[in-house]
Amino acid sequence: MPRPETRMVTLSIDGREVTAPENVMLVDGAKYGDVEIPVFCYEPKLGAPVGACRMCLVEIEGIPKLQTACSTPVKDGMVVHTQTARVHAAQEAIVEFLLINHPLDCPVCDKGGECPLQDISFGWGGGRSRFIEPKRHFQKPLALSPLIAIDRERCILCYRCVRFSQEIAEDYQLVLQERAAHTFVATFDGHPYVAPFSGNIIELCPVGALTSQPYRFRARPWDIEGSGSVCTLCPAQCNVNFTVRDERVLRVLARDHAEVDDGWLCDKGRFAYQAVHVDERITRPMIRDGGELRPVSWERALEHAASALGRAQARVGAIAGGETTNEEGFLLQRLVREVLLSNDVDSRAGGSLSLDLHRALGAPAAQATVSDLEFADAVLVLDCEPVDDAPILDLRIRKGVRRRRVELAVATSRPSSLDPNARLRVRFAPGCAEAFLLALEAAIGTAAGEPRREEVARLAQAAGADAGAVHALADLLTTSGDDVVVLWGERVTGGERGEYAGRALLNVAGRLGLRDRDGAGLLCVPAGTNGRGLAEAGVLPNAGPGLSEVEEAGRDAAGIAAAVAAGDLVALYLLHTDPLRDLPNRGAWEAALDRASLVVAHAAFLTEGIRAHADVVFPAESYAEKEGTVTHPDGRLQRLRPAIGHQGETRAEWQVLAELARRLGRDLGVHTGPMATDQLVAAVPFYAGITLDELGGKGLRWPAREAASAFPAPATAGPFELEPPAPAPAPNGRLRLGTFRSIWAAPEVEVSPALKFLHPRQRAELSPADAQRLKLFPGDRVTVGSDGHSVSAIVALRDGAPEGTVFLETAIPEDSASLLEGPLVEVRKA
Amino acid sequence: MTQLILFKDIDEPGLATLEVYQRRGGYEGMRKALGMSRDQLIAELEASGLRGRGGAGFSMGKKASFIPKGTMDKYLVCNADESEPGTFKDRELMQKCPHMLIEGMIIAAYAVGANRAFIYIRGEYELQAQILERALEEARGQGYIGEDILGSGHSMTLWLHRGAGAYICGEETALLDSLEGKRGNPRLKPPFPANQGLFQGPTLINNVETLATVPHIIRMGGEEYAKLGTPGSTGTKLVSVSGNVRNPGNFEIELGTPAREIIYGLAGGPHEGREVKFWFPGGSSSPVLLPKDLDLPYDFDSMAKAGSMLGSGAIIVIDDANSVVDVALKTAKFYRHESCGKCTPCREGTNWTVRMLERIDSGEATPMDLDIMASVQEQIIGNCLCVLGDAMAMPVGSMIAKFREEFEAHIEAARERNDALTTAVAPPEALIQGAVA
Repeated sequence: MPRPETRMVTLSIDGREVTAPENVMLVDGAKYGDVEIPVFCYEPKLGAPVGACRMCLVEIEGIPKLQTACSTPVKDGMVVHTQTARVHAAQEAIVEFLLINHPLDCPVCDKGGECPLQDISFGWGGGRSRFIEPKRHFQKPLALSPLIAIDRERCILCYRCVRFSQEIAEDYQLVLQERAAHTFVATFDGHPYVAPFSGNIIELCPVGALTSQPYRFRARPWDIEGSGSVCTLCPAQCNVNFTVRDERVLRVLARDHAEVDDGWLCDKGRFAYQAVHVDERITRPMIRDGGELRPVSWERALEHAASALGRAQARVGAIAGGETTNEEGFLLQRLVREVLLSNDVDSRAGGSLSLDLHRALGAPAAQATVSDLEFADAVLVLDCEPVDDAPILDLRIRKGVRRRRVELAVATSRPSSLDPNARLRVRFAPGCAEAFLLALEAAIGTAAGEPRREEVARLAQAAGADAGAVHALADLLTTSGDDVVVLWGERVTGGERGEYAGRALLNVAGRLGLRDRDGAGLLCVPAGTNGRGLAEAGVLPNAGPGLSEVEEAGRDAAGIAAAVAAGDLVALYLLHTDPLRDLPNRGAWEAALDRASLVVAHAAFLTEGIRAHADVVFPAESYAEKEGTVTHPDGRLQRLRPAIGHQGETRAEWQVLAELARRLGRDLGVHTGPMATDQLVAAVPFYAGITLDELGGKGLRWPAREAASAFPAPATAGPFELEPPAPAPAPNGRLRLGTFRSIWAAPEVEVSPALKFLHPRQRAELSPADAQRLKLFPGDRVTVGSDGHSVSAIVALRDGAPEGTVFLETAIPEDSASLLEGPLVEVRKA
Repeated sequence: MTQLILFKDIDEPGLATLEVYQRRGGYEGMRKALGMSRDQLIAELEASGLRGRGGAGFSMGKKASFIPKGTMDKYLVCNADESEPGTFKDRELMQKCPHMLIEGMIIAAYAVGANRAFIYIRGEYELQAQILERALEEARGQGYIGEDILGSGHSMTLWLHRGAGAYICGEETALLDSLEGKRGNPRLKPPFPANQGLFQGPTLINNVETLATVPHIIRMGGEEYAKLGTPGSTGTKLVSVSGNVRNPGNFEIELGTPAREIIYGLAGGPHEGREVKFWFPGGSSSPVLLPKDLDLPYDFDSMAKAGSMLGSGAIIVIDDANSVVDVALKTAKFYRHESCGKCTPCREGTNWTVRMLERIDSGEATPMDLDIMASVQEQIIGNCLCVLGDAMAMPVGSMIAKFREEFEAHIEAARERNDALTTAVAPPEALIQGAVA
């Protein structure tokens, strides 16, 4: 779907000529002429205007009644008056009406000082009230949820929060109860408003009716400073604004970026800032001494790490976690490759892919952008759950479906929260994306007139999918229009057959003609925040910076675990990762960590693996302290800027890596953060010429720059000749194991006082049919086991879950599904 | 009386059944219409000059002509949420002659190419809903509703939907929201229902009486119908007369009949020894008129010229035994209760007005409050999302303007009454010390 073109029109507002884009609402058009028209209910992010507050009434020549400027599109030759006596009278009337039931408790209200109601009363109100009756009273404040307090007396009933819940997040929880002057905002069932995106209503509220529980009474607007940066808690990399008071982050607000987050934040991004200032955070270097980690000086920690790494020389494996910046990743691979002379460095959880495949999947020509999700003809969500993996994309997809009638198809193993919005849902067995994609490719061929129905049936069966649904999907993707975006989860290319699944994906992309097409393409949701940036910075066993060839490929993450366990490697360098938490196959990692003679970790929290196994721990910076860049899944380099000083004794991590290298006898030539960026840019040909200034506050997509032509071309981008994979195992009374990582599975959620209540416990998601067969009910405790390992879980029924499959969570401290090997498990009542 | 159209056979026993209705010429209009082209039908409707009978008085033919041509999901909705205080004409029409409405809807749906039609009837009309359901069954049984109606190629479904008791759902866009299963709140216009109405599809929405008139227009011909009434207000109108009259009820009149003839002639005038003090010409939301206006012709334009409106044709007569403050308070309370709360002026203005009127009534007001109240009415009028706010502000505003002296006298009398009470129970010292509130 092509983006709408903008034509400019000229109109007159208060006698001055204003040129504004056609069809924008008058409120927005007026801004082009520096005319401000006050609004409360209007918020373009919420979609079509509702015209409820009536604050924006203006006079338009030729129309007898005053019109709401929020709902009147600008037209050529329109003559508008915003300063006539009639308009003033109407605006003063609305302010007077709004204030008659408002408590005017500004001195004790959190919103005071940054409150649109205050500003508009001051700017457009009459400055007096004639209302002498008693005001409306409600019990207050009430907890709308553990995160949000609601003061119904302050509420001006502008509908914003309700519209957000109904039309943006589509959680359908908030409604208006009662009517007339008794109207109030509430959840439809009286239960707390708990939803992944609930916090956005705090920011939407134009008065102090909805306030953040964690921020309540912590600061006034004149105490605070704003500091823009990027949230690195997930790959969505939303742009945020930290509210800082006295070197403490007290709040996170959205920093609207239409190409990244569309102005929304998830509750993790909004409230997990608390983790920056909790006692659990590591802010001093530590060394294991007598079996316990004890704080030591930087000098001792660095010396200890340097000498031990020096002894391990070449027998070191390094893993970078998703929150590592491009610069840190770049310096890590330099440290490992140039100083420690090892090739074993990785940043991917799911195993290594061929360099060619990396190049083919990451090629600028195949790349879709975030906003393409909204303007595409069709979107295929493939083996990922946006609300868990990159939450803000979930809202973007909903927006496309709701406002632009994007045809949405969801092809996953686990049911998705987008299922109700999708035209088509296809389920396949966990880990069978390869067979599914081959079936899809064949089905697209069938749609193009090739007689491959039998092949589709065979492959669909191997994938545990319904062949009819695969054909329907092929139809949808080939007939909806040319702009198709495939949002695929990194787990597609995980596991032993990941390489082939990646090729199958490329085949499908080729069949759909997604390459070299603006508005279409592939968009990967990596497992870690900066998955894309780390690959491009060279944190892969088989690729250097810029996805360049390396002389000798090293071991991937699983290979490192096996080599350490076997004694081939002796030391582990863990940059922002706890393998027991973040990586699959916990058993193998437990063995490796037990055997390793040295484990150096950069960590912010003592998660189980770090607590039990690290020998040297360097305190990791929080994202509010970091300086550097990260790369968005669609290729946008974004800049992290420190909002606060380093907490405790924390140091910049580029500095720690450079210092270690120096102590090991090599000067990496990095003395400031920007120098690290310069080195990275110089080493990655397709980043050539990028400067921090150029990135600025909005970042920059490298695939859209000229230097992108320097991207190394793959030997072939398909089509590949692919063999059909082995079929999905038949459950035979047991269940197939699928895993997922919840949006709330993060140490930051665990330690943030406000979010703690959301931190997940293991639950076994089952289809109602399986539960009935196993005589299980929601809330039952079960043991899920395979090959001698087992975890304990609570049964949760999920409509739309495929029969014969159980889904368990990973990345949680206890009973993580990474303990189980699968692919089949047994579920028994505990 | 003049030639009766809608109420010609209204008291015929069994008119609610298909058999009697057809014996009286029912469904002939439909048969004739199905033989005509859609453009012809709309031309007939425009020629008839029929103006909407629900309250706004917009030309029915013009509204139908706004519905886009072409094949798409188009809807016809009958607004049977008759909730305006004083209005009860649709009730009688649906109760006694449901087929007339159904026939009108079939013709209207055919004229605009709508395949799905709904009757949204107010929840309190349970008996009328049952009667309509029975009539619908009969019509379906005859093939008047369904696939390929009488071989015309036109198909339609027609469903009856019962409201849940909100006045605001008589506002057309709130009605559509309610019909879609949402909270009944008015929508912003534009887009108008003719472009984006029910389920986003083009929608023709008309009052019961308007639709019931359609078969007659088709039978008579639009031009013939237009000969009735006055040039700006053609045809006949059902008026519901209530209040202080001897013979309240529904009457069909030719538009342009003097109001005095309706109130004194048909409804019998006020009771023995009483005088008309003022009257609402078009339901409780119309500005009140005085006895001197009784000789005006009762039609859309004359009422508008007199500063009021014909509205739904509900005349409420108030005689001189009533206090205007009482009437204003009851009126305002009704609209405060029924305001949906979506837009600011209506939600807050109706509430504030009631509070002030209560103070006036209880003697806690001063004449200055009358100025404030009058100004609040002005702040409401024209500034709301829909016309509910105006529906309170216009009559209340007109009462203050026309009966200001009575309001002032009422304030004074109530204050004196209060003073008498306080001096009787409390000694003056206590008052000075503020011991008595």
